[in-house]
Amino acid sequence: MRQNLHFLLFAIFAGILLWTGNTILSLPVQVQNVGAYKIIYFHVPAAFTAFTGFFIALVASLMYLATRKLKYDAFAAGITEVALAFATANLISGMIWARYAWGIWWTWDARLTSMLVCLLMYYGYVMLRQAITEPTQRARLSAVMSILGCANVAFVYQSIAWYRTQHPSPVLGFREGGGMGPGLETPMYWNWLAMLCLATILASVRMRQGEFATEIDSLRRQAHSH
Amino acid sequence: MTYLHQIWTIAAKDLRSEMRTKEALNASMAFSIVILILFSFAFDQAEGLNQILGGLLWLAYSFAGALVLNRSFARELQNDCLDALISSPAPPSALFLGKAFANFALLIAVELLSLGVFAVLYDVRLSGKFGLLFLVMVLATWGMTVIGTTFSALTVNLTMRELMLPVLIYPFLIPVLMSAMILTTDLLAGVPTATNMVWLRVLVAFDIVFTAITVVFIDVVLVS
Amino acid sequence: MDPREFQYTFYGLMIVWLCIAVYVVSLALRERRLKQELDRVRRMVEKG
Repeated sequence: MRQNLHFLLFAIFAGILLWTGNTILSLPVQVQNVGAYKIIYFHVPAAFTAFTGFFIALVASLMYLATRKLKYDAFAAGITEVALAFATANLISGMIWARYAWGIWWTWDARLTSMLVCLLMYYGYVMLRQAITEPTQRARLSAVMSILGCANVAFVYQSIAWYRTQHPSPVLGFREGGGMGPGLETPMYWNWLAMLCLATILASVRMRQGEFATEIDSLRRQAHSH
Repeated sequence: MTYLHQIWTIAAKDLRSEMRTKEALNASMAFSIVILILFSFAFDQAEGLNQILGGLLWLAYSFAGALVLNRSFARELQNDCLDALISSPAPPSALFLGKAFANFALLIAVELLSLGVFAVLYDVRLSGKFGLLFLVMVLATWGMTVIGTTFSALTVNLTMRELMLPVLIYPFLIPVLMSAMILTTDLLAGVPTATNMVWLRVLVAFDIVFTAITVVFIDVVLVS
Repeated sequence: MDPREFQYTFYGLMIVWLCIAVYVVSLALRERRLKQELDRVRRMVEKG
């Protein structure tokens, strides 16, 4: 059943990618005199996917604390790791574009910095999990850290946004001063959907691995008690 | 005992215990002074030093603060004191707030003393600015304390506690430290605070939101 | 599209998928290691 779901999601993911890939290839080479801008079609959806992942991890952590079922903890850990992968992708692709557009690898601008801080926070989450061996304690403490982390994402983002703005000003339609032009924006949202499908598959695989680890743990205790 | 009385008792206990040995206080003070001196060497005669003064000060404060915050729950591990405290009638949030207030007092003490050293080393005039500076210190230190005490409770049973605590809290403290640095730099340079109201608001919002969240969830961390 | 622009666009796009691919590979390795461990512990339980 799970396998079928994975295949279905992967098919959706591949389908969307093929379609948006085709759309993106046929787009003009430069828009508003910004070159290499097509990176945005994967850079921004990766960021969206990462933030969605962090938020879902928050929900899963709250569910764990409410129900104390370890499967929620496994899911929270899984989705956080997947979100970290997408966040890294966003950060590095952002750096590559910055190198092209402004000639520098890094700048302390709002979005890059807040993504880096989120990366550090949630990598701390992963390290915390690795440092605790007892499953219930690990689930409990990492749930609290996930909640604190997600609460801080808003603060980090807003404070750094107020601090510097070298990043291109809002280009998306739903922000004031944004809007990319007809038809230019939609591939980004489709790509986001595709990445969400992929993230779901990966999180589900990771969650199953979490369940394996729990089973190994309990079997080991059983074996050693003989 | 009322809730406030419980908080006060725990805070007083922590402060009394710290005053007897002054371990954390001395270590923190020494570390802070050494950092300020090192920075003074590093940036001696540097132009534009005025623009980084706030940053320097708060870097020193945050490093020194980590020393104090680490000790907070770690000192209870001997003789099962932590278990005794948790199983006492005081709710875990009272335990947390008591320790947070004690840490806050210790941190403010270290910061005020370091401020004196800072004013001497960097030739900074504090008259007339001290009131607002103290306000910024109070707000930012409370943010540091709340997050630091929570993570101290979270990491108390880990083997690599001293290493994990700084690694975990510094990303969290970036909004606080950033606001404090900007406000302090501008204050020391004489820029009117009206331009920086947004950072004060960030500090206040951070304090309120994270005090609320940590008080609610400290039950989970300490008890289960 | 001038070659430099193409190069950067290409690298930018590649790196996104590379990061995800690295994660997928790490997941696969972890899966294999966990399966081996699980089989080993199961055998241990059956023997004991």
